[in-house]
Amino acid sequence: MILSTIPMLLLSLGCRREEATRYRVPKDAAAPAAMPSGTAGMPPPGMGVPGDVPAPPRPTGQGALKWSLPPGWTEGEAGGMRYATLKPPVQGKVEATVVVLPGMAGGELSNVNRWRGQIGLGPIDEQALAAARKPIKSKAGTVSVFDFTGEGQAKSRMVAGLITTNDGNTWFLKLVGDAGPVGKAEPDFMRIIGSLHLD
Amino acid sequence: MVLVVLCTLAQVPLGTYGAVNMYMRSILVWWGPEGSTWIIPVFPGGTIVGLILTLNLLAATVKRLQFTWAKAGLWLVHLGLILLVSGEFVSAALQVDDRMAIEQGQTVNFVESYRDTELAIIDVTDPAFDEVFAVPTSLLAKASTVNLPNNPITLNVKRFFPNAALADRGPMEPPSIATAGVGPSVKIEERAVVSADNELNNTSVFVEPVAAGRSYGIWLVSIALGAPQSFIHEGRTYMMSIRPTRHYLPYALTLKKFSHDKYPGTDIPKNFSSLVQISNPSKGEARDVLIYMNQPLRYEGRTFYQASFGKGDTLSILQVVENPGWLLPYISCVLVTIGLLVHFAIMLRRSLSKRQEKVS
Repeated sequence: MILSTIPMLLLSLGCRREEATRYRVPKDAAAPAAMPSGTAGMPPPGMGVPGDVPAPPRPTGQGALKWSLPPGWTEGEAGGMRYATLKPPVQGKVEATVVVLPGMAGGELSNVNRWRGQIGLGPIDEQALAAARKPIKSKAGTVSVFDFTGEGQAKSRMVAGLITTNDGNTWFLKLVGDAGPVGKAEPDFMRIIGSLHLD
Repeated sequence: MVLVVLCTLAQVPLGTYGAVNMYMRSILVWWGPEGSTWIIPVFPGGTIVGLILTLNLLAATVKRLQFTWAKAGLWLVHLGLILLVSGEFVSAALQVDDRMAIEQGQTVNFVESYRDTELAIIDVTDPAFDEVFAVPTSLLAKASTVNLPNNPITLNVKRFFPNAALADRGPMEPPSIATAGVGPSVKIEERAVVSADNELNNTSVFVEPVAAGRSYGIWLVSIALGAPQSFIHEGRTYMMSIRPTRHYLPYALTLKKFSHDKYPGTDIPKNFSSLVQISNPSKGEARDVLIYMNQPLRYEGRTFYQASFGKGDTLSILQVVENPGWLLPYISCVLVTIGLLVHFAIMLRRSLSKRQEKVS
């Protein structure tokens, strides 16, 4: 009798509790993208390597933007949506990213409001957008630059520029992090924006 | 017998997992006409059938078999059979099937679920470690708000999709309820949940992180979106994504080499193998192991099988099975074997002594 009651008890134990959990893991390289179910054999036909979401086409040649790095800055490529990651020689939480998307990528206002949302600021309208826009001239054209600082105890700051190139792509250059380090890196970041040119 | 036939046939449309759950690991088998919303129970499921068979076997053993040494072999055989059926109950309740995908040269210290997904909100601010908040998507399906443990952020769940199709939203289509991230430019349509082996549910959710009375906008997070999306609260960056549920291990596996041998002159696979190194700092262990077809690695309660591969033979997929009852079928087979041998010996002895009596 014991033999058949044990499984019944186990069945009741098998129902795992559903709750949000918290744990800390050391930073490591990203794991390969998730595969769909399939317990043996090959990846399912036609799936390629699942989880690979096609990234936007990476512009090369004449469509690609170039920039000059100030002393001490380093550049590394990043996967996913990023075209490049730029790291200033500044202590603290600060990072610059370059993203390129086809077309207008949702337009200036929606992107600016998305950036503002990332640092906890509310959306603005076209009038406020025009007031916040700071045009910076470069060899690639005029870059619209916005500078926002969040609220709260630990203030976040974001300096972001966007420019649409002749091939229709929109480029986003974003410096983001804690207000202090961003403030230190901002003059160099503006020089990078000023140095933009087409290949 | 009927269940076995139905389950076998159902594997084509439902996949192994779906068919086994519907016929074998259910109390009742439900059926409804195509396209209708109502279903009725039409047959007892495997759980009921297995339980009745087990109880019947147990009752018959106790009632009909005398508790004597002469019947010791039969007792062992019956106990072995009861244990075999019980083992299936244990597996159904406790077995966890996960996977580990490792690229050559990569070290991985977690396994991922084949089926279950989680909304991972990761505070990536610290340069040395990530603070992970994992919310099972099964909880998002039921809850309207989820509090992150020991964190000021609360998630308002606006809408949950167990499976959905995502596409670019055209200018003439109604606006999305998303206000932040990539959501506003994405069109989402609900789809029926799939269970076939080669299909994946695009689990998606509209979620609004709120902290200190401030909303960070409504985000569309989906397993179909490759790149995580992020927001910054009080200077801390949080990345959001839906991913297969992860279970971290106290040890790590590094894929040193994946080999895919073919029969000469053909593309017919002959052998797949993964040369991995196990690193277990708590035990001071670092050793190489070769995992190949029918030669899994059993380590710390988990069994790692070579299951699949990808990315031009540089990615190895291991199936990782954790089943506390994995020994039960072996024990039951040993019990049945010993029982049959004992019973044979007893009967042989009895027939020999009868023959002896006749002779004398």
